[in-house]
Amino acid sequence: MELSRRTFLKNTALVTSAFIVGFYLPVKASAAEDTKETNRLKPNAFIKIDADNTITFFMGQAEMGQGTYTALAMCIADELDAHWEAVHFKASGIDPVYNSVFGPWMLTAGSTSISTKQLEMRQVGAAVNLMLKKAAAARWNTDLSNIKTHNAEVMNLKTGDKFTYGDLVSDIKTMSIPQDPELKALKDCSLIGKPTKRHPSEAWAKVTGQAEYGVDVRMENLKYAAVLHPAVFGAKIVSFDASKALKRNGIIKIKQIPNGISVIAEHWFQAKEALNYIDVVWDKGEFAKISTKDIRKEYDALLHTPGASMRRDGDTAKAFKEAHSIISADYEFPFLAHAPMEPLNCTVHHTGDSAKMWTGGQVQTVYQKVCADILGLKPEAVEYNNTFLGGGFGRRAAANADYINDAVYNAKNEAWPIMTLWTREDDIRMGNYRPMYKNKARVALNKHGDITAFEAKVVGQPVVKDTILGFLFKDGVDWAQWDGLTDHPYSIANHDMQAHSPSSPIPVLWWRSVGHTQTAPLVEGIVDEAAYKAGVDPIAYRISMLEDLRCIKLLEDVAKISDWKNRKKEKNIGYGVALVKSFGSIVAQVAKVKVSKNDFKVLKVWCSVDCGFAINPLNIENQMISGINFGLAPTKYSEITIKNGEAEQNNFYDYLVTRISDAPDIQVSIVNSGDKIGGIGETAVPPIFPAVANAIFDATGKRYHSLPIKIS
Amino acid sequence: MTTKLKIDGTTYDVTVDEETPLLWVLREYLNLTGTKYGCGVAQCGACTVLLDGKAVRSCATNLKEIGDKEIMTIANKTDPLLKKVQEAWVEEDVPQCGYCQSGQIMNATGLLKANHNPSEKEIVAGMNGNICRCGTYNRIKNAIKKINAGA
Repeated sequence: MELSRRTFLKNTALVTSAFIVGFYLPVKASAAEDTKETNRLKPNAFIKIDADNTITFFMGQAEMGQGTYTALAMCIADELDAHWEAVHFKASGIDPVYNSVFGPWMLTAGSTSISTKQLEMRQVGAAVNLMLKKAAAARWNTDLSNIKTHNAEVMNLKTGDKFTYGDLVSDIKTMSIPQDPELKALKDCSLIGKPTKRHPSEAWAKVTGQAEYGVDVRMENLKYAAVLHPAVFGAKIVSFDASKALKRNGIIKIKQIPNGISVIAEHWFQAKEALNYIDVVWDKGEFAKISTKDIRKEYDALLHTPGASMRRDGDTAKAFKEAHSIISADYEFPFLAHAPMEPLNCTVHHTGDSAKMWTGGQVQTVYQKVCADILGLKPEAVEYNNTFLGGGFGRRAAANADYINDAVYNAKNEAWPIMTLWTREDDIRMGNYRPMYKNKARVALNKHGDITAFEAKVVGQPVVKDTILGFLFKDGVDWAQWDGLTDHPYSIANHDMQAHSPSSPIPVLWWRSVGHTQTAPLVEGIVDEAAYKAGVDPIAYRISMLEDLRCIKLLEDVAKISDWKNRKKEKNIGYGVALVKSFGSIVAQVAKVKVSKNDFKVLKVWCSVDCGFAINPLNIENQMISGINFGLAPTKYSEITIKNGEAEQNNFYDYLVTRISDAPDIQVSIVNSGDKIGGIGETAVPPIFPAVANAIFDATGKRYHSLPIKIS
Repeated sequence: MTTKLKIDGTTYDVTVDEETPLLWVLREYLNLTGTKYGCGVAQCGACTVLLDGKAVRSCATNLKEIGDKEIMTIANKTDPLLKKVQEAWVEEDVPQCGYCQSGQIMNATGLLKANHNPSEKEIVAGMNGNICRCGTYNRIKNAIKKINAGA
């Protein structure tokens, strides 16, 4: 969102004892929706100052682990000169003022919280700071230049007199809000750009069990629900007998909802256990005949037919005809569950012509509307409460709102608030997976070993089509199919890239780093193969094909911190490199891997990141560690396979994820290029897949194109 | 039936089926929600509590197995070692989403009670049953190494 689009700042005296400031940011909607919202003036709150000098920041972005609360609060607090340790956070309600860069709804996704909100948050802080100074100057009848602020106090430099911010609340309530407050120079910032631990209020809540996640919401008369879902994707209920289940302790009610059969009980464990006593006659449908091998066959057939064009330039046919050598590879990536640690849940209380809901969601406005639509209410009749998220990774922005639907139907017309909690098995087996992909890539090399043409075909269910991000599905091509592939950073003259969008009853969804999960292993895999074929060092080879100076500098940085040139040739040990631009940032990684019989272990990862400017370098380091460990799961273990229409996996014993014994040493280097600020939360995930695969090649001489990598 | 439970220095009488896992008694009957549900089958460690100082998975520990053993949860405010672990977690900037950290911290506390000065290998072996999807493992290792459990 451009700064120039900001129209005004306005104060609102919502609470007499407090001052609240907000400003209206016109919503930058998808092109089609750019009209009405832009002219609607609606101020809203970001900062609340109470007379007792309690300062609270309202957070529209969801905190799911990525450190957004802390980083955005740093931006406000630094400019406001608040007392960092003493500020409070509160998840905001729903209002267009908090809308995302993607469209007219609140959405925490695409690693955009900091890149799109940091400047606005700084301005909010700076505006209020200036107002407080002006108020104090008026009271002391002195010039602004004699006034200084620090730790939520205003000081008179001449007399030494002080006011707390709270003392000045009544003065600033009626003041007009400065439109273009001056921001601090970065060198004068005390928080922005400095490694800052997670805010103590959040950190302590999380280490003492006090942090409230959706699953922790408690209220009077709360009942709990578990849902019996079909095991086969797309199966329907023909009939069911719940008489045995109803007789069990604590069971209040059993009813059919669109997505299954719901048991409402005094306690959740009672509801969950009762599911085992419901007899269901299913109409399993056609998909019950389908297994992974059938999907593979379907995708393989598609790979041999022309698809929708993603990128076409130059003359690939000619380039391949004139090629000195050709490299081709086939890739397969399985369905993946997100498996956030907090199982999916939502609590709803339907009270006739209004409702309340509680959940930790990445897409608050959409979930509110889902609830309202099912209950036949207007969205504003639904009070939405966002909690902390026990992991998101995209799953808590469910395009089909599956678990939210369950919760709303369960609570519809019921007398009590009801928490609907999915089991871990529901989470693993109910879909909304990263799609399965089968890809093909081919590059032509000239006699110098340079890549002259790049062909690729991607086959996988579309992710954004028919969702709120549907505008990213264009000309038969899905954003998750091309992102990172058609816009790869290398100088190659000829391209022919195509995609196929098969369909199935398995719902698919964006998964941390989205399209890059399938494009990064392809691009960085085949470029690595080309380097080897050309007989050139993989980092030098990449640099020779790059024009983007940031990318070049980052590869040089990762070569330096990993001491790439002096890496030792040891038996069964290999080093692999990868470079991926994603979400406005660039990450380069070198992985050191040890391969043994039927197994491999990632020993160390060196990671260089350039996100333009690091607002919170410590959190960026944490997110690099997080992305690498998260990405190692599908590199080595995770996969959802289908047998007779069902997911074959159930829980963490068969859907394996990274554990502490898998976590490599990780060294992070942050390069502040000064370029436009980019995203962080997803950016360390994509390079780890190819970095590890390339390292395994270095150790064994064998290329593994598919994930998870099974050493043979 | 009624069961007596000693939790973090307080004795509770709970009337609940004794086959009920401790996790759900803590979370729903006593509203001690700091102990988390992650998998329900002792695979992820989010529900870890200490029983007489030993880490157990409360999702797979039925009420009848507890007897008169002392239960320590993340909500405990008096155990000096737990406090040290929590401080180390904040100091090392461990928590991200934070959901698994109650279990990680209780498991680490159990580990350190049994072994004041674990080696890296012992830390990894001792913590391998606790999943963190945010991948905070590197910070967890650092935090545990810094704790002086013997003092």
